Amino acid sequence: MQNDLERQDLRRTIKEAAARLDGAAALSAARTLLNASQRTTDAMFCASSLLGVSDVLVTQMGMRRLKTFAVRSVTLEPMVPFLATEALFAGYVLDLQLGGYGSYIDELLNPNSELATSKPDLVLVLLDIEELAGPLPELCASGRNPNVDLEIQASLDRVGQLLRTFRSNNPARVLLQGLVVPEVTSLGDVADANLPLSLPAAIERLNRGLAALCASISDCAFFDVDRVAARYGRSRWRDERMYFASRLPVSVEFFKIYAENLIRFVSPLFRACRKVLCTDLDNTLWGGILGEDGPEGIATGSSFPGNCYLEYQRYLKQLSSRGILLAAVSKNNESDVRETFNTRSADLALKLEDFVATKIGWNEKAQSIRELAKELSLGLDSFVFVDDNPMECEAIRRQLPEVEVISAPIDEPWRLTEVLARKPFFDTVFITQDDVDRVQEYKAQAQRTELERQSDNRDDFLTSMEIVCTFQSALTAPLARSVQLLAKTNQFNLTTRRRSAAEIEEFASSLGGQAIAVRSRDRFGDAGVVGLALARTEGDACLIDSFLLSCRVIGRGIETAMLAQIAQQAIRDGAKRLIGQFIPTKKNAPCALFYLDHGFTQTTADDSSSIFYELDLTTSLVTSPAWITLEGTQSHELSAGIVLSS
Amino acid sequence: MSSQQVSSSLRELLADIFEVAPEEITPDSSPETLENWDSFRHLQAILAIEGEYAVQFDPQRIPELITVSLLQAELEKKGVTP
Repeated sequence: MQNDLERQDLRRTIKEAAARLDGAAALSAARTLLNASQRTTDAMFCASSLLGVSDVLVTQMGMRRLKTFAVRSVTLEPMVPFLATEALFAGYVLDLQLGGYGSYIDELLNPNSELATSKPDLVLVLLDIEELAGPLPELCASGRNPNVDLEIQASLDRVGQLLRTFRSNNPARVLLQGLVVPEVTSLGDVADANLPLSLPAAIERLNRGLAALCASISDCAFFDVDRVAARYGRSRWRDERMYFASRLPVSVEFFKIYAENLIRFVSPLFRACRKVLCTDLDNTLWGGILGEDGPEGIATGSSFPGNCYLEYQRYLKQLSSRGILLAAVSKNNESDVRETFNTRSADLALKLEDFVATKIGWNEKAQSIRELAKELSLGLDSFVFVDDNPMECEAIRRQLPEVEVISAPIDEPWRLTEVLARKPFFDTVFITQDDVDRVQEYKAQAQRTELERQSDNRDDFLTSMEIVCTFQSALTAPLARSVQLLAKTNQFNLTTRRRSAAEIEEFASSLGGQAIAVRSRDRFGDAGVVGLALARTEGDACLIDSFLLSCRVIGRGIETAMLAQIAQQAIRDGAKRLIGQFIPTKKNAPCALFYLDHGFTQTTADDSSSIFYELDLTTSLVTSPAWITLEGTQSHELSAGIVLSS
Repeated sequence: MSSQQVSSSLRELLADIFEVAPEEITPDSSPETLENWDSFRHLQAILAIEGEYAVQFDPQRIPELITVSLLQAELEKKGVTP
């Protein structure tokens, strides 16, 4: 802080804002004060002023209350105001209760403990080496005692047992803190580094083991305090005087950093990470301005300063590999951008196709981001926007406050990746296969839309999609997927009968029955099982009981291919008439004309709650569209007759 | 400075820690007179004073410094005029 007057001013601002119940102003002044002041008294002042208006913060700013219980074997009390303020800055009102020293086993396991009866949302488990692995320092003294690994395993087993038992009785989310790797040991730096059974090596293994343990327990995260301590200097992390005198595990100069990082690890237990990164191009993705410097003039590639931008591109590519969607939002001529991605591809770590969507043109960026949110069906609070232009950044902050805005440091391009990496918005405790696949899915959808936009002729467009339909039995789709489709499909569902697994099996196995599922893929991706039909031939008539298609693939002719497949099988089963039924619902208007469009004749009145249609199979044909390649049509497993006789 | 008066900077610091008005901090303030002065706030006060005046107390003395005048005297002994 420049001077004490400034500090007093901020404190007055906080006090006044709190008095008039202006949560946002109080919070913003508190943030400024604590970013500048190291004083514990200022943290206490901010915590008590802000918590005094916590109701306002919850109602005005949508903050979430977190009833939190900390079990610990160390002194935490002096850090509590910092934990409270850092939690507030992250959007949480922390209601923190501390357990007694060393009573953590009772707190966690006893159903009548203070912890259990307080019904916390969050439990912090903050133990030191004595509690987690007391014998390790002595066992590691020689650097060659094989019992070290046994002790690590015993420690992991003990903590695992503790957390699993806790989890079976208590739904609270858990943050388990690891250990700081010791700096001072009797073996010394050289032996510590070279002996696999040294204490630092053992603590690192223990930390990895604790992390794996947390990953195996639901709603449980590992707090890697060693990474934080190492970043700021392990040798200064702890003040030995205060550690030995008061069991204070962190030096007072790092209280804020400790609290900030602990809260960073808590946050993903309660909220999903952002999903989309929108990047500007000029002076952000590359150096220079494309419109002025031309594709050959922009800075990107292996030499400075282009390599700073290349590093940012690589960083984005890596984000994309873990499921973050990339979008380019730039004021440029689209053709110039396309040309640049073609001619400078050797100097760029990203291809234009790595972006799930691009908004390149002269529209307002706020408008572009709104469109993206709509196209990707994601909320604005899933978006991050990176731009070097302060005006653009300010415009987004004002117009779309939900979007997280990052100002690219134009004069220091080497800082951009670090600025991004320090932000918590992509933090997540785990990444699922679905997360990783999401990018591909969105990309495919965006490419289909793009191709459709470019083609003037529908048939040409559909041919260029290279659609392949694979027919298979609804029993092997798998059956659960077939039931799910019947249960969930509303729009393109002609009868909306929610058939059960047993009923599908009956269609599949009875004589003349058909239960077919269709998978579809195209040049952009595999959509999986998208359609289902149930039909039965009795005598000379085949009645289509259920017919549905996922709305993602409507309008590509897949529905016609399915109908053709049913008709052919019906003929093989001896049918001369194909009978379709439409039961109108509030949602299925999109398929009301399906049978008429395919040459059927209506046989019952319009106003009926169930309309029947008929097609004479001896005179009319249903043919699959030429642009669809069919697979599995000859597989006679689809025919129940064969199943029965085999 | 007389030990009969509490300097304004120390008074304000302790007022923050013990969450009372600065006027309530007197040389005789102690855990007996201030409800909030428990062992946790004592540690908090020590950490804050050490940071504010750039001094370090002997850990053995810390538990004994339980009136404002004792704290102030200890600071003066370290050559600090709070």
